Order: sequence, then C-alpha cells, then structure tokens
Amino acid sequence: MHKLITRILILLSVSFGMLSIIGIQYSFAADGSTPVIKEYKQSVSAEEYEKRYNAVYGKSTEQMAEEGNPADFLLEDGRDLYNKVEGSAGKSCADCHGKNGEKLKGVAATYPKYDPAIKGINTVALQINRCREDNMGAEPLKYESDDQLSLTLYVKSLSNGDPINVRIDGPARPFYEAGEAYYYKRFGQFNFSCALCHVKYAGHMMRANLLSNNRHHADHWPSYRLKWGATGSIQRRFRGCNKNVRQKPEPYQSETYRNLELYLTYQANGLPINVPGFKM
Amino acid sequence: MAKIGRIKIRVPHSITKGEVIPVQVLVTHPMETGQRKDKKTKELIPAYYINGVDVYYGDSLITHCDWTIAVSANPFMTFYVKAEKAAPLKIVYKDIKGGVYEKTVQISPQ
Amino acid sequence: MERKDKDLVLSRRAFLKTGGATCAVFLLAGSLPSLVKPAFGAPKKESIKDVLKKQFGDKPMSMSHVDIKAPIIAENGAVVPIRVVSDLPMRDDDYVKKIYIYAEGNLQPYVAGINLTPANGKADFSLRIKMRKTANVRAVLETSKGKLYEASRSVKVTIGGCGG
Repeated sequence: MHKLITRILILLSVSFGMLSIIGIQYSFAADGSTPVIKEYKQSVSAEEYEKRYNAVYGKSTEQMAEEGNPADFLLEDGRDLYNKVEGSAGKSCADCHGKNGEKLKGVAATYPKYDPAIKGINTVALQINRCREDNMGAEPLKYESDDQLSLTLYVKSLSNGDPINVRIDGPARPFYEAGEAYYYKRFGQFNFSCALCHVKYAGHMMRANLLSNNRHHADHWPSYRLKWGATGSIQRRFRGCNKNVRQKPEPYQSETYRNLELYLTYQANGLPINVPGFKM
Repeated sequence: MAKIGRIKIRVPHSITKGEVIPVQVLVTHPMETGQRKDKKTKELIPAYYINGVDVYYGDSLITHCDWTIAVSANPFMTFYVKAEKAAPLKIVYKDIKGGVYEKTVQISPQ
Repeated sequence: MERKDKDLVLSRRAFLKTGGATCAVFLLAGSLPSLVKPAFGAPKKESIKDVLKKQFGDKPMSMSHVDIKAPIIAENGAVVPIRVVSDLPMRDDDYVKKIYIYAEGNLQPYVAGINLTPANGKADFSLRIKMRKTANVRAVLETSKGKLYEASRSVKVTIGGCGG
C-alpha cells in the first residue's frame, strides 16, 4: 500500500513537471479573437548565463576566435569585391559609398530597418542585392554564396565596434511585433518556439547543450561556425534552428526571417557589432 | 571557403634576437575524411586532406608534421621558433591530391 | 472499436520505432558529419594499445614532463583545440624529436606527428583535432636520445543537438 502511494506520488509529480514544460503559454485576448503572447520569464539572466557558459565550456571557443578566424579570408575578399566594377552601369560599390567604405561607416548598426520602398524590413544582405540590381545593373548575388557573404561581411565590418541601434518605432513597429510573434510561436513536429529554449530555458542544459541567452544572438553575423566548418549568415542559422524542431525552413530573406532578424537584433541593441563572429 | 589553400601566418610584431616566438598558422582546407556522405547524391565524398606540413626557417627544415584525417577542417596550428637570425619563415602544406600551398613571412629580430 | 484502438497502438509503436531510429541516425549524422561511418565495410577500429605497441614496441614510457591542455567539454567534436607542452630541453644534443598525438576514441587513433628540431626553441605545439567521441587524448614525446614521455587527458565530446 505504502509503495503504491509513493508510486502514485512520483507519477503525479513527474506528470506535473512535464505539463509545466509543455504547457501552452498562450492566453487569448478578451474578445477571444487574436492570441496574445504571454511572454516567458527569463529564468536566468544574461550575466548568469555567461557565468554558466564559462563554467561548462571555458574559453576555448573565444581563444580559437582570437587565434585565427577563417572568415577573415572572406572579409578580405569582400574588400576587393567592394572596389570591383560590375554591371551595366559600370560602377563599383566604392563609386557611391566612398573608397574604403567611408560613407558606410556605422550604417550597418542601424540595420535591419524599415524601408518604405519594399514596405518591409530591409537587411544588409538584401540591401546589397537591391543596390546591385537598381544602381549597378549587376546580377544579384546568391544568398550564402561566398561572394555574397564576403560583401556583407565587409559592409558590416565597417561598423565594427559601433553599438547596434535598430529602431522599432513608427512604421517598423508592426514588423517588430510580427517578428516577436514568430519568436514566441510554437511550430514544427517538436512543437518548440524560439523563446522556449532561448528565453525560458536559456542558461539551462538541454542534454549536453547549454541553451544560449538571446542577448548576443545577433551581434556577430556573418559568423564562422565550427559546426558548419564554414561561414554563414544569421538566416542560415534560423534555417538550422527550424530544421532542428522539424519545421520546414523558410527561404533566405523571406519576410518572416527579416522580421525575426529585426526582433533579435533589437535584443542586442547597445552591444557593439563584432564581425566576423566565431561560434561553436 | 571555396578557395583552398589560403594561408594566414601570425608572428609577434617586435622580436628580440634569440627569443622563442609563437607562430600561428591558419590554412583553408576541407580536410575531407573520406567517410562522409554527400547529402544529395548519397555518395561518399572522397578523402582529401593535408598530410604533410614543412616549415623552413632560412634554408633549414625546422619542423615537419604528418597529419591524418583527424585534423580539423581549416587547420590551425601554433608552434614555436627560436628567432636567432633574420630569415624568411616558409610554411608549405601538401595535400593528398598533390596540391602544394605555401606562404612566407620575414622574421627580423632586433 | 476495440480493433481500431489496437491498430492505433501498433502503428504508433511502429512509428516510434522507425522514428527513433531515424532520429538516432539524424543525430549522429548531424553532429559529426565528417566522422560518420561509411555504409560499406566500415573501417575497423584500431585499439590504442596496438597502435602504441606497433609504434614504440615495449619501450618504457615516463608519465612526466608532458602536459596536454584541452577543454574538459568540447563544444564540437569536429574541432577540439589541443596543446601539448613540455619542459624538456631543446638543446642540440638532447631535444624532443617528435610529438605524437592520439585521439583514443577515433577509428584511427593516430592524429598527427610533429617532428621538431632544436631550432624550435621549445616543445610546444597546438592543433585542432577531430574526435569521434568522448575519449582520452594522448601525447607521446620522443627525444633524440630515444626516451619516451607521455601524457593523456580526457575530453568530453558532446553530441551537439543544436544548430543545424
């Protein structure tokens, strides 16, 4: 009898724990029409997360980044590409934006931002391709190709050290909110949301992984990732995350991803831009 | 990193004569193990890796490494050199397909 | 009605089985893509004992003068930074001739061999290596006089579930 009671108690506590993990966090607005996001509370602060990160992994990735980042080669290529004349207009990036990118210094820190011309959020990668098509008469660069990454890397590196300063007021507001909604929305066969791991359980272990806090998620892209053995953009990372929860990934520079990029970059507001990054 | 065999060498800015200096070298190379499958074609990607590294200081070979597939992609290494003379430091990588990649830095101790 | 339920249970079980298997394959393939075994005649795992014996015979090894610096937990098994340091002299008549690096969990434990000369100044070498699983990293130093020194250190390799 005693055994049975303990068993039931254990079962109850386990199932209660499970419920609180998978419990649905949406509540509905008063009129019952649109779901309102109930924000998860951060159980661990960004500072505490850093502490835990150092306790688990130490400084090995940081040290590797200091020693030599393979993405530096792409950055050098980007500089050459910036000065290269391409397209029917016979112009290079340098013709408009100044030699050594003088007129682009600090600009990337304000991206992604609202652009009335596309009635949406504009990212650095998208802007480069629009510039090439509209002003240079050149072919747009394929996303995640070496050329595209290197040029993005170079343009972003011109703002290295500048604090990220994206604006979410005015016309950008609805897009920011869309990004936020996506961040808190559950999807995929695993029914995860971005926020579940990176807000609610950030700083906790998921098996052998320490879930990262989203404060530093957007300040270092494009980054060299050990896992890829290559350099990639933040949107490649989004696609990877989507695949992990068995959700069909979106194409590069889709509206969803641009909104999400805005949302995440806003979380890093005030932090200095630091490209190219070097991540595990 | 489409281009294979780009090398970056880092040595200290100021070197005093006789000092033992660290040399950090990064090279871009896929270091394919031959055990990995192409995701699309489901075929094995043939092995392709650097198996030999030679370091020359002046004319003499001072370090030689044999590498296997277990060295990470885009290999990075740090070794030390006793800077006794002003001479070029040449690093030569050789891969199994016959590719040879080299780069030289000048060591000029004060 | 009953029948239907049974079918449901069975199919779910079958689904879980296949799903679980696929998941496992997925995890493996995703985590260490470069080290996944080939489908045909997987290479045999060489044991570290055999490898050491083949290389050094029965020569005695001293567990001193060598230190391996490596992370306790490697974030990514495909890139584990290893540093082998020794305080052995690098004189013209007595120097560290070769550093051998082994990752014991790998199918072929021998990772790299580094031939040094007195011109190196000190026996200190860093390299990033691939590790198939949690295992010891071992370094063996051979001096010009034929003496052997060794050290080993355990490195935990985690299956990186995150980051596609």
